[in-house]
Amino acid sequence: MLTKIHLLLASIMLATVYTTTTMAASCCGGGSASSLILPKMGQQMIDLSLDLESYDGFWNSDAIHVEDPPGSKLQQTRINLGAGYRLSSNWQASVVLPYVWNDNQYAGFETNTNGFGDAVASIWYEAFDEITCVYKVNSIADLKPSIYYGLSMTLPTGVSPYDDVTNSFDITGRGFYRLDASLLLDKTVFPWNATFQYSYGVYLERPVNREYGNYVEPYDKNLGDRSLLMLSFGYSDQTENLGTITYTLAYSELEEKAGEIEGQIDPTGGLEKKSLAFTVALANFDKDWIYKLTYNKATDGKNFPATEILSLGVSHVFF
Amino acid sequence: MFFSRLLILVSVLLLNGCDNLNPSSEDLRADVVPGSDGVQVGQKAIDFTLSDTLFVDVNLSTEYPLGDGVVLYFTMWCPICDSHMNYMRHHIVANYPNIRFYFIDYVTGSISASRQAQQANGYTDFDVLVDTNHAIQDLYNATMGTVIVIDSTGIIKMNEDFKDGSKLLSVLSVL
Repeated sequence: MLTKIHLLLASIMLATVYTTTTMAASCCGGGSASSLILPKMGQQMIDLSLDLESYDGFWNSDAIHVEDPPGSKLQQTRINLGAGYRLSSNWQASVVLPYVWNDNQYAGFETNTNGFGDAVASIWYEAFDEITCVYKVNSIADLKPSIYYGLSMTLPTGVSPYDDVTNSFDITGRGFYRLDASLLLDKTVFPWNATFQYSYGVYLERPVNREYGNYVEPYDKNLGDRSLLMLSFGYSDQTENLGTITYTLAYSELEEKAGEIEGQIDPTGGLEKKSLAFTVALANFDKDWIYKLTYNKATDGKNFPATEILSLGVSHVFF
Repeated sequence: MFFSRLLILVSVLLLNGCDNLNPSSEDLRADVVPGSDGVQVGQKAIDFTLSDTLFVDVNLSTEYPLGDGVVLYFTMWCPICDSHMNYMRHHIVANYPNIRFYFIDYVTGSISASRQAQQANGYTDFDVLVDTNHAIQDLYNATMGTVIVIDSTGIIKMNEDFKDGSKLLSVLSVL
């Protein structure tokens, strides 16, 4: 019984971090989703989250913050629907599909558009059979973390600049397939938890024959390789009704290198973003319902909007 | 069951969704009558007059005969726009002194607001035209990052996204 509780608590901490979508940016092509991770003992999981993202200027290529034009209010809202499924004792798969609303209001221009974002399909391998979470560290072996290896494919199901769109405000996706390889380390020594994730993604080159609804001379384009580093620390406490409340602070660094057009480096491409996120997650006694509230703020960047994201989410695990 | 349904939904999107899932390299540009009035490459640019951020009216058909041509860049003061404009500043403009470069702001809605955005973004060394009701943006089917090159006779030589600037450079080199 104690083992099960250990595992469930650790899973909640993990779910707190890894079921929150944190990527967007409408003019830059947003609406991408992150992947889900199913608890070790879970057989299936569904996740629903609402992201409210607001923009407050941007960082230019020199990392200098620039204000948006006077009278502008730029927002993106996303609903992310996800499901995880256990394939075997160490393998699991998940799919996340976002739906995106872009609300862009300038003093002289206003648009409201919506559509599917880019979906993500993932498969994860859990490189551990026994739980690694402990109450007390008595030996070196107790420090062994849970290790996950993941592969994710971002599918360009969103509306991109290369679709039949009127202008850049219609975009809900980037228009490219991307394959990410991920390493995730997770360690819980109750009531504390720490996670480390590193992902490296490669876009697949594609032909382009249309830009924002206008047909152009066809050319080949690719976006730059993408890396994501994330660290998080969490603390859990028991509620009066024997539920669990978890507080998690996460730091992430995202970098996308310059892409290529016709095999030549695009000197105007590439981006960087650093962000901090704070999450409060509440789980019920059975640990099969998890409610999450996350505040994510971009703290620094290059070629990227300064964003704040408020996320509300609920996950249900079928054990 | 839920997982299966979501997988089916994604599969349907894959099969019936947008063009990104199976992108085409086919050249689908429409044929145009050279020299006819329009906004496509090869057509005579439709004339317009816009005020710049210093309240000076700029008329397109008056500008292009004054040098080798005119470059119009549509900006909404965003990260991508800034990256393009910064590249033009450092790698293109100085090499083409007989070309007139204009940024067209189609989002701020007023000359005063456009001037503020121009100053905040650090482009007071450029001439910014203010498309207050985005009529010119609509007329030229332009959006963020669109660059239009018009030669000294008023013929459009380029009307597409800036991308990495190489197409703009190649077009300017033969004006």
